[in-house]
Order: sequence, then structure tokens, then C-alpha cells
Amino acid sequence: MLPRRQRPPASGPWGPRPAVLLLAPLLLALQGVAAAPAGAGGPEDSPGLQDAEFPSGLLQQAARAALHFFNFRAGSPSALRVLAAVLEGRATVNPKKGCQVDLVFTTDHYNPEVGEEHLGKCSARVFFRNQKPRPAINVTCTRLIEKNKRQEEDYLLYKHMKQLKTPLDVISIPDSHGHIDPSLRPIWDLAFLGSSYVMWEKTTQFLHYYMAQISSVNQWKTSDDAIDFDYTVLLHEFSTQEIIPCRIHLVWYPGKPLKVNYHCQELQTPEEASGTEEGSAVAPTELNNF
Amino acid sequence: MRGLLVLSVLLGAVLGKEDFSGHQVLRLSTDDAAQVEKVKELEDLEHLQLDFWRGPAQPGSPIDVRVPFRSIQAVKIFLEAHGIGYTTMIEDVQALLDEEQEQMFAFQARARSSDTFNYATYHTLEEIYGFMDMLVAEHPQLVSKLQIGNSYEGRPIYVLKFSTGGENRPAIWIDTGIHSREWVTQASGVWFAKKITQDYGQDSTLTAILDSMDILLEIVTNPDGFVFTYSKNRMWRKTRSRTAGSSCVGVDPNRNWDAGFGMAGASSNPCSETYHGKFANSEVEVKSIVDFVRNHGNIKAFISIHSYSQLLLYPYGYKAEAAPDRDELDQLAKSAVKALASLYGTKFKYGSIIKAIYQASGSTIDWTYSQGIKYSFTFELRDTGRYGFLLPASQIVPTAQETWLALRTIMEHTLQHPY
Repeated sequence: MLPRRQRPPASGPWGPRPAVLLLAPLLLALQGVAAAPAGAGGPEDSPGLQDAEFPSGLLQQAARAALHFFNFRAGSPSALRVLAAVLEGRATVNPKKGCQVDLVFTTDHYNPEVGEEHLGKCSARVFFRNQKPRPAINVTCTRLIEKNKRQEEDYLLYKHMKQLKTPLDVISIPDSHGHIDPSLRPIWDLAFLGSSYVMWEKTTQFLHYYMAQISSVNQWKTSDDAIDFDYTVLLHEFSTQEIIPCRIHLVWYPGKPLKVNYHCQELQTPEEASGTEEGSAVAPTELNNF
Repeated sequence: MRGLLVLSVLLGAVLGKEDFSGHQVLRLSTDDAAQVEKVKELEDLEHLQLDFWRGPAQPGSPIDVRVPFRSIQAVKIFLEAHGIGYTTMIEDVQALLDEEQEQMFAFQARARSSDTFNYATYHTLEEIYGFMDMLVAEHPQLVSKLQIGNSYEGRPIYVLKFSTGGENRPAIWIDTGIHSREWVTQASGVWFAKKITQDYGQDSTLTAILDSMDILLEIVTNPDGFVFTYSKNRMWRKTRSRTAGSSCVGVDPNRNWDAGFGMAGASSNPCSETYHGKFANSEVEVKSIVDFVRNHGNIKAFISIHSYSQLLLYPYGYKAEAAPDRDELDQLAKSAVKALASLYGTKFKYGSIIKAIYQASGSTIDWTYSQGIKYSFTFELRDTGRYGFLLPASQIVPTAQETWLALRTIMEHTLQHPY
């Protein structure tokens, strides 16, 4: 396991201390930013929120949403980014409409195998509509992989995927022990790309997601030019800790915008929580961005 | 049943390698003597190659028969035509044999000592419990195994006690695996146990700690959930208790403690992952620890280990008010994460639960803190979401190694600051 050397942060329990903050009148409106939405009752008067300590939870939320959106829009499974650190941010709250966050953050390669430290930098404006998902996002990033290189990598991935034997003989990726066969790595990356769209749409001020596992590959078609991929993914939802199965159907061709269609199991059914092993997510019927 | 299968294997071996793929074992039930006669007729049809494990006798006595694949349809048609009921006891004999073979080999491959035990892979409950016994056998002067209770489904709950003597010395408690899907934690717990036995007498800090204090280590805090992550659902978090009035199973053991129980930060919905249970300590897995801690009366540090997020947390989770010892806990957390990062550069954030992660009520360390255990901490180990719960096994040892440095820092501080 290669050590992930990161720049030593400025002091502070939150990592690099946000340099620009807008506090006081906004904090009261931001109450409950750390509250679990599943809990009963609203957030109580919390003396802690009058601390100078700005709940950086909101900045992290905004950064994650911005990155999901960025990854989706870039449409490139070989150029996926993850959040490194939030450098600075400010939030403006309109109690009736929602909450706007302007922030600057750094990013890392998603794929840890890539040796070099390549910290991209992004600035974003994220608008969370009150309690509603699908934040509006404006994001630009610098210091990315050179465009030609990225296209080359995507094309290599594409070729590799075309060569995979269909039907794919896999159950879940990774397996219970966290292992992903190197030959299946591109599938994971492509699945993550599709999931980024879903995770962006589902993120709110209070809820965020990680892709936990591909629980089934329903269809993998490469007969036409594009990769046509129908799969079920398990998303891990914070702060509820729920595992949400989502059926995702995507169509990808290098250099073209990603097309995604999905349906997540929303209802808390009387069956066992923690994701059903039978993968009961319904096949997508609604058009999302096709 | 197993015995009969083993017999079949032996016979198979004797008669030459036989393949039982697709063979089924049916249990027939006969209502009257006429039906018993019919089954005997079946027995006489040699071309069916039936193998009666329990032959036809009295009506009402079950008849067990292994049916080769190509005879299954004919046999079932026959039984149905004569109104003879049957159930399928074994769907595929070969599959079951293969599984048993595997288990037998696994048993043979099982480590003979804690030195040959593979720490860089995930283990089953049986393997971990076996490891504990090995460790105790190898270090009887240092390690003992305590049973603090039984899980909901009746599995023993064990705590390893590391002690160099004394009578009820001040102790440090560490638990892993309270949320069963957080596999890197149980795996790390196993590594910690071995590490302690290796370092006593070698590492001056650990030796100093154990010369005055005991270490209590509960590796599989939620055994039912753990077994379930192997058998049915790798993402299972909670206990496996049944809730009256609901078809949903399990309570979040980290919302079931008597500190802010039922307040905002837990769910009252039994189907939720953060369901707090009907009342505090309803879960035997939690109650066992509560009783143990109360009876012990001399625990000075309590560390509960989770994954993932890379955080070191102290109370409170249920309220935003700062804990009275906040400054000291914050400083200690800072030192601990610094020690952790020194090994592989892994970055941890730290703070109170409610600030650093989210509001959570009824959580473990809020309760232990309320009991006067000042050094109450929760860890969230690797990673930060890339693999999450499915952390590759190759990261187990590095995770355990770096976390140990943080634990050592906390333990040393506890030793040097008696209260």
C-alpha cells in the first residue's frame, strides 16, 4: 500500500482552515447542518453553533456535490477526481430559498495507482435548495490531466472494455474482501462515473453518498460502438447510514457526454434494511438525461 | 446428515471418483401401508439407481433417498401420481460435498499458532474465536479470555484481558466490530491482540502500561451481525434482534446506550440503520458491556472502534455542548492523530462526535463518559469513501499499525494522568 503523501495541512481540527468565512447571522439559519435527518424532532437551540468554529460540514457537502457533478460532466472514467481538501469557502443563506456556497478545494486522482501527486484545484458555486436534492452547480477545475492524454487513456479503457467477455461472469465488485480484479477495474471506474450523476442528484445540505459496491451487473453490451452498461450499485448514505440500491443504465463512448438513466430504491420497505441481497431495485423507466 | 454425506464421499472414493452433480436427496412421507409398498416398488427399479439412506419402513416414518439427476423427473412423477408427499432435503449433493471438502481443507489450513495466522486477510467468526484460544494458550501468563455474555442468537461474547497481575487494576477498554460491516475493525482487533503479546517486554511504553494497568479487548462486539455479513448481507450494520411489531430486524448498537437515548440523532423506525431500539440497553450486546463496565468499576479509558471516515472523536454526540474535559480530550486527540499519521501519512480529523461527523444519540462513548470514564474515544478508521466498508485486505495491517500508534498515545496518557 503506497502511502498517500499529502501536503501538511494548516493547523486546526478541520484540516486546512477555511480562510474566508461568513458567520453570525448565517449560523442560526445553518442550525441542524450536522443533525441526522432521520432523528425525531428538530434541532434544539445549540449553543455550540455560536462558537467561532464554523461547521465545515457544509463546505465538505458542497465540495462533494461539486465533484460528483464535475466527474459526471467530464464523462471520463480515466480522469475521475476525489476531494483532497477544502481551502476556503463562504456560505450565504436565504432561509426561504436555500443556501449558496462558494468554495475552493483541491482534488486527487480517484485511482490511487496513479503515482504522481497531481493536486488539481477547483472553484465552485453550489446552491442547495432548501431540503431538496440536486444542488445547482457551477464548477471549474485547473491542473487536470492534459486533454490528449486523457482522451488516450479513455480510449484505452474503452478498448479494454470492448474486449471483456460477455456476459460478464461477476457477482459483485469489489468482493466482500474489497478485492477488484484488475481486469474489472475499468468496470468499477465506469460504474463510478455513472454513480456520480446519481450521487450529485441525491446530495442535499444534509445527505451525501459514497459508492459502496456494484452488487450486480445486469447487462454489459458492446455490440454497437458505445458501451451500454446496466448495473445495480449500493450507495452508502450519510448520515442515515442507509445502503441504497440504485439501478443505473448508462451509455458511454469516449469523448461523448455520458447518458445516464437510474432508479434508486427509496422506500423503507418492511424487508430488511442494509440493502437487499436479492437486488430488488426496479428497472429504470424514467428518462433522466437521455 | 453430515455423517451420511461423509460416508457417501468415502464410498465414492472407494468406488472410484463419483460425481453427484444434480443429485437430490428427497424425504418422502407415507400415509399408509399401501404407499410404503409403492416406495418399495420404486426401490426395485434398478435402472433408477436410487440410494436409500433411510429405507421404507412404517407408514409415517420418513424415507430418505438420494436420486441421481437423470431419475429425478421420473421419481417425482411417480410420487405425485401416488399421492406420496416429499420435500427436497438437498438440492445438489455435489455442491454440498464440495462445500464440505472446502471446509475440511480450510480446517487443515488453519493456523497452528498466532505466528502463522494470516493477519492480512479477513477471517470468519470461527477463525477469530480460534485465534483467541491460541493466543491465550501461547501466553497464559498475560492473556485470558472472559465471556461477558451471549448474543441475541446465543453466541458467546468474549473479551480478551491482558494483565500482568494485580487485583482489578485500572484498565483500558478497546472494542472493535460493534457495527458488523466495518470489517477492518475486527481485523485490526485481532492484530492488536497479537501486537500486545509481542510488545510486552519489548516496547517500553506498552510494558509500562501493562505493568500498572490491564487492557481489555473485545474483538467481535456484534457476533450475530458479523456472521450475517458472511452468510447473507455484507452490508449488515446492526444487531440481529427481532423487534415485536415489525418485520425489520436489528438495532443500531451505537444508538442503544443510555446517554441521550432516543433523542435527535437516532431513528425510532425499526427498519432504519440507526434504529435505537425500544429502550436503552435493550440489546444484550450492549447490556453485557454495560454490566461489565459497572462491575469492573475501574476502567479509565474506553475506546470504541468503527470505520470508515478517518476520524478520532470524543463526546458528545447527542448535544452540542462541550464536554467538561473538552480541552484535554482535544489535545490528546491531536497528539494521537499525529502519531497515527507518522507512519503512512494517513490523515485523520478529530473533534467531538456532533461536530466532526453528525449528531448521534445513545452512542457508546457518551455513556462511558457519563460514567466517569474521562478518556472516551471513538475511532473511524480507513478509508474516506473510496472503498468504504469494503476496504481491501491489503490495507488491514497498515491500518492496524497506524491505529495502534494512536491507541498507544491514548493509553500512555491515561497511564500518566491517573484520576
